[in-house]
Amino acid sequence: MRRHARLSAGAVTGAALAVAAVSGLAVPAYGAEDAVAAVRPSGSATGTLEVYPSSVVPGGHVSVNTKACGTKASAAGDASAVGAGAFPLAPSAHEGDAIGQFRVPESAQPGTYEIVADCAAGGRRVKGDLIVALGSAQGQLQPRGSVKTGVGGALGADPVRTAAGVAALAVAAAGGTWLLHRRARGDGI
Amino acid sequence: MRRIGNSAIATVTVVALCSGVWLLRSAGSEQPPPQPAAAEGRPDPGEERLSAPALPPSPPTRIRIPSIRVNAPLMGLGLTPSGSLDVPPSREKNLAGWYEAGTTPGESGTAIVAGHVDNTEGPAVFYDLGALRKGSIIEVDRRDGGVAVFTVDAIEVYQATNFPDKKVYGAARRPELRVITCGGGYSRSTGYQGNVVVFAHLTGSR
Repeated sequence: MRRHARLSAGAVTGAALAVAAVSGLAVPAYGAEDAVAAVRPSGSATGTLEVYPSSVVPGGHVSVNTKACGTKASAAGDASAVGAGAFPLAPSAHEGDAIGQFRVPESAQPGTYEIVADCAAGGRRVKGDLIVALGSAQGQLQPRGSVKTGVGGALGADPVRTAAGVAALAVAAAGGTWLLHRRARGDGI
Repeated sequence: MRRIGNSAIATVTVVALCSGVWLLRSAGSEQPPPQPAAAEGRPDPGEERLSAPALPPSPPTRIRIPSIRVNAPLMGLGLTPSGSLDVPPSREKNLAGWYEAGTTPGESGTAIVAGHVDNTEGPAVFYDLGALRKGSIIEVDRRDGGVAVFTVDAIEVYQATNFPDKKVYGAARRPELRVITCGGGYSRSTGYQGNVVVFAHLTGSR
């Protein structure tokens, strides 16, 4: 069932292990792109088995869920590819997704593994990928640097709107002045 | 004729007055988003209190921060090619994201949530994040139907040029949460100069 291991044990040099251990990053640089690429499509699409976290270190806990079996449906999970054996998926309180958990054995080798689940009814099979990464107890690929979460739209004035607003107020002032003048001259309003 | 002329001028005046006021108000507030006080800074590591028991991993679906009236769905986020955390689409004002290759909120480790402080229209989901105080409650709904309840330990501002990756994203033994948005001063040429980062740890679940 093990589809392919992007980081085979043989490819992992002692140097890479040392770098991973020192930096605290689970995945050496050449593994980073694989991990990111595998994470993106997981989304919340129906018909797939979602795996969280999608990247885990040996010994870590993994949660899987799927909508593919319908609401209030259970399923039989199989994580034997990664050496975790069979596990059940039971209906959860959240929208009736079938949800299950297993633990990746300490002996698991780095690589990408296919986790499958068979719906209890209907015979449908869904699959998801699990990446096992090198690393320390909390090893995982971490973001770095600041986050671009704003453009300044909440502060500072929009120059076009400000100019339009000032022009409109000028018109109002002119109109008001005109009317007051007429009234003062007794033209009658 | 004079009566009609006066009415027309009065109407134009009123319309111009109203639209002028509306345009100036909608052109943008002068107030920058709130920033945390120095007193809300991070406690010493020795002061870290014990957390509630860790939950099994389950992806989050929603974040709620009652004290600043945040109640927003969460989408999965990856990394940009440069390795920084990606962000939700900025046109969605009330949407936050979580780093889905990382820890899920409630399990042991550091879970990461990010959202916009504003977009081109104005304030967005985490506009008031910098107004949080130590002890504020953050709730995360999870796909397993449970709710992870976090308590805020600190609110910090970091400049992008000297961002403490390890402090913000680094591993934790207890279940912790980071909530990130933009902040730290704004310049028209380079935008926001850093991030507001909220540090919280798990204190309950239901």
